[in-house]
Amino acid sequence: MPKFIVDGKEIEFKLGQTIIQAARDAGISIPHFCWHPSLSVSGNCRVCLVEVEKMPKLVIACSTYATEGMVVSTNSPKTLDARNSVMEFILINHPLDCPICDEAGECKLQEYAYAHGKGESRFDEIKNRKEKRVQLGPYIKFDGERCISCSRCIRFSDEIAKANQLTFVERGDKVTISTFPGESFDNPYTMNTVDICPVGALTNNDFRFKSRVWEMSSTNSVCVGCARGCNTEIWVRNNEILRLTPRQNDNVNSYWMCDNGRLNTFKFVNNNERIDGAFFRKEGALQKVEWAEAINESAKLLKEYKSSEIAFAGSAFAACEDNYLLAKLAKQLGVHNLDFASHIVTGDQDDILIREDKTPNSLGAKLVGVKSSNNGLNLDAILKSIQEGKIKALYILEDDLASLSEEWEQALGKLDLLIANAANQNRTTALADVLFGASTYAEKHGTFVNFEGRVQRIRPAVATEEMERALDGMNMSRWDKFGTKFDRWMQGTKHNSKPSWKILSQISNVLGGKTKYEMAEDVFAEIAGSVDAFKGLDYDSIGEQGAKLKIKQEVKV
Amino acid sequence: MERIVLPEIQSLDQIEVYLANGGFDAAKKAFAQTPDSLIDQVKKSGLRGRGGAAFSAGLKWSFMPKTTDLPKYLCINGDESEPGSFKDRQIFEYNPFQLIEGAIITCYAIGAKTAYLYIRGEYHMWIKLMQKAVDTAYEKGFLGGKMKEVFGTEFFCNLYIHKGAGAYICGEESSLMNSIEGYRGYPRIKPPFPAQKGLWGCPTTINNVETITNIPPIISKGWEWFSKIGAPKHPGTILYGLSGHVNKPGVYELPTGILLTDLIYNVAGGVPGNKKIKCVIPGGSSMPPLRGDQLEGVRMDADSLKEVGSAIGTAGVMVMDEDTNLLDVLIRIAKFYHHESCGQCTPCREGTGWMEKTLKRIKNGLGTSKDLDLLCDVANHIEGNTICALGDAAAWPVKFMITRFRDEFEKYVNSDVVISVPNKVHAMRNTAVPLSDLKK
Amino acid sequence: MEFKFTEENLARINEVRKKYPTSLAAVMPVVYIAQDQNGFISSEVMTEIASVLGIDKVNVLSVVTFYTMYHTKQMGKYHVQVCTNVSCMLRGAYDIWDQVKNKLGIQNMEVSSDGTFSLEEVECMGACGYAPMIAVNEDYYENLTKEKVEEILDSLK
Repeated sequence: MPKFIVDGKEIEFKLGQTIIQAARDAGISIPHFCWHPSLSVSGNCRVCLVEVEKMPKLVIACSTYATEGMVVSTNSPKTLDARNSVMEFILINHPLDCPICDEAGECKLQEYAYAHGKGESRFDEIKNRKEKRVQLGPYIKFDGERCISCSRCIRFSDEIAKANQLTFVERGDKVTISTFPGESFDNPYTMNTVDICPVGALTNNDFRFKSRVWEMSSTNSVCVGCARGCNTEIWVRNNEILRLTPRQNDNVNSYWMCDNGRLNTFKFVNNNERIDGAFFRKEGALQKVEWAEAINESAKLLKEYKSSEIAFAGSAFAACEDNYLLAKLAKQLGVHNLDFASHIVTGDQDDILIREDKTPNSLGAKLVGVKSSNNGLNLDAILKSIQEGKIKALYILEDDLASLSEEWEQALGKLDLLIANAANQNRTTALADVLFGASTYAEKHGTFVNFEGRVQRIRPAVATEEMERALDGMNMSRWDKFGTKFDRWMQGTKHNSKPSWKILSQISNVLGGKTKYEMAEDVFAEIAGSVDAFKGLDYDSIGEQGAKLKIKQEVKV
Repeated sequence: MERIVLPEIQSLDQIEVYLANGGFDAAKKAFAQTPDSLIDQVKKSGLRGRGGAAFSAGLKWSFMPKTTDLPKYLCINGDESEPGSFKDRQIFEYNPFQLIEGAIITCYAIGAKTAYLYIRGEYHMWIKLMQKAVDTAYEKGFLGGKMKEVFGTEFFCNLYIHKGAGAYICGEESSLMNSIEGYRGYPRIKPPFPAQKGLWGCPTTINNVETITNIPPIISKGWEWFSKIGAPKHPGTILYGLSGHVNKPGVYELPTGILLTDLIYNVAGGVPGNKKIKCVIPGGSSMPPLRGDQLEGVRMDADSLKEVGSAIGTAGVMVMDEDTNLLDVLIRIAKFYHHESCGQCTPCREGTGWMEKTLKRIKNGLGTSKDLDLLCDVANHIEGNTICALGDAAAWPVKFMITRFRDEFEKYVNSDVVISVPNKVHAMRNTAVPLSDLKK
Repeated sequence: MEFKFTEENLARINEVRKKYPTSLAAVMPVVYIAQDQNGFISSEVMTEIASVLGIDKVNVLSVVTFYTMYHTKQMGKYHVQVCTNVSCMLRGAYDIWDQVKNKLGIQNMEVSSDGTFSLEEVECMGACGYAPMIAVNEDYYENLTKEKVEEILDSLK
């Protein structure tokens, strides 16, 4: 590979790489605002100016190709002088409203001003005024004064979201960003512009003024909005999810996620319609009982039915581990009626990220064995059998079958026994005879398999009653670390829920099963040992970026 | 002295007159030769671009790739927006056919089938005149498909006029291309250069109107003849534009290398009221100004002006007499670049406004000597750090005006001013307050 | 207010498009045609331009707001442009500017109440050797004196 020198260090580069790319691969970060690895190069911010030997002027590292033997300095006096001055120029008209700016703490301008600024301004004039609090689209507010005209949002919309909705208007220092008059910045991916905005010019309506970023912990996770499985970070303060942001994974979602996934896949974790604890129907009403009682009762009741009278419904919303143990419990009871509901929204799909399948784990559920076997019934047949009175008991894992159709709701009402694991109250839980409060994807370890057969991990970001943030190795914010229980931010709600795999394994053990799982990872180890597609994998090797399963042919889901 | 670009021939804008004076003979001669030979002749003639940078025209043509499947383009820059520059309009008005002839020869030499003539939008009348000439050329077969018959060659090309719409920056070659393509006139990052990736990503050559108009005489009379006119390293004639405090302002075609003092005193009739000269900007407002006492012996060609710390630019000579308030002049220049900065890159977008604001504060009596240093420092940090040359163009007048006329600028500042907000990090104050006011 | 190009202008647009390999490139001349027809460029006009050229509306907006000769509001029947750049300034352009402002009773980029005049302080118009100058709509008036300016403005009714 060809080599060039950056700050005295010889580094390799691939032909066609710019200085900034090659340096980045070698772990040398050159300051930049407008450059973004997956957008076209605009070269306008000028903060990446570097000195290159034998070049008469400083060059921008984002558009200058690395060449064999090139000698680059990112910290020579000339480079530093130019960088300082660019910082000064950017700041002269930038409102210094960091104390009330949502971006503070993750603001490139703030970070670079700290690292590369002179610390004082020589600008002694009146700052330019521009439009503030412009509602650019349903989810985005724009502050023209904070904007540094890097054009990332414009390029993102055009190049990634394929919706040319934003543009610069006016010129010179009057330049600002606008949609067409009367039109809304409303493509399905608008909120990514908030993430890539290097300053606080674009803010997220939903998150605006909710929290300083350093008060939150962030935990790597996966979006549950569709089968793409966009990698995310879950941001939590006071044990409450305040926002989701996309996390880079070039094999899945690059740097992006859709607005629907970002906005609509975490609020159910926070809301107060959670199933807290275990419930058992006594005298026609669900009564809260001890977990052990509900588990024992479930086991006892299941034993009262013939295997042909029982059906199990897995869930594409639940993790592989949960579905695996459900399938295992079915097997233990000799039940072949096993399937899960699909949630396809026909036509709601694009060539960017959004998939028709609105669940995160269809493929995973199928692979770990949630499918009818030995002439067992599939979901449609299960419905029919319930209607005909042949199936009398149904175990539903984390899905609201009653909301699928009127027929389903009526059928569930006909059952002798309905056991449900659910996180939130819904039409299915209203009909349940035994109800377990299930931990959500944000409260447990586990794995999902996306539509392309990539297995990816979820991790607990929110603690449940049985968990302690510090003791369970969960990510912690500054507040989590240094707050005391007398501080108001330590009084966040913890829900009384358990991961489904744990509930299922306890029922199984009451029924004579002998497995002991300490944690989700143990379940996964068993999956890896018994399901070909998962062979050789463990949580470590799946890691932060997931692992492609060895699936010989496309599994139809 | 013979005039090359604007010959002393009545009604040369009439095709009959142009033809009667040897019009399109150069094109005929050119089409009988190879493109490479033409490029070589233009190179040897020493013709340097008349748009400001004075780069060798032949060398520029030679950068065009010889083997490419892409179409090639010629852009002719008639944006002419540099304050002090008003020469191209003379060509549109008085000698349009020589420009057209130059264009078709250039197209042939670089292998372009299409030329765009970019004329600033404010030149409504000159666009109409030029369009009339282009229409006539099409009619007579000097442009378009009919060229094959008229010239008896396989080669033909089209020339289209693109009307600007009020943006100085479009005179910058890459902005000009963006403007033709239908975008904002934002300069492009270089490299790639236009010869590699120009209009619509295709190889493109961009020459100034005056440069192109020089081509037919070079071809018909030979490069040797041309190379002997004027300054040896910057040969030919130039359309000098004299403006400001001179008795006979206007455009004069004269050889390069003429003494600046000759130009002002003999050609343009000297300064009204026989006043002394305080300042001359020799090449349009972007170029560093010269002091009145610096003018003796200065010659008007690229190298001589470089030696005295300025540049030929577009040879728009602005003369200012001893009574001129240079602060006012500099404020007006700074205002211009602030207004015309496209806003794309940081140093120019922010720096041009900063300089104008600070100069205006000085004008309001609230400046200090330190502000003069600050202005120079701001200018120094714009210079060389921007995408295009507008940054330099905005920085030079400020920097050189203040350094070369520091004595005068010191008179405009007030040592008696204090800054009302001591912590400048939060400085958003409306005005500085004179010390005398604070004491009251 | 809905805007539609006249048949005649649609024909002009078709001619203009032939000059360029892309339809986007025709945007500048087409904005001029629209301004000819409508007097100024409203968002309805931009929408129609985008639809006639088959380009994104923001591309039209982007261009219209960049170039100073495109007007997004109705200017006067006579749009008076006074150059105050250096060469003109050295020969009294600011006196002319003040004179025109006073005479018309309007400030920069304002339109007189009867819609007859609008005023713009413009950058160098390329008439430096014939300074000072003003332009009224498309016509240049050069080598001006106060008297001449008075005469020119009086002749515009």
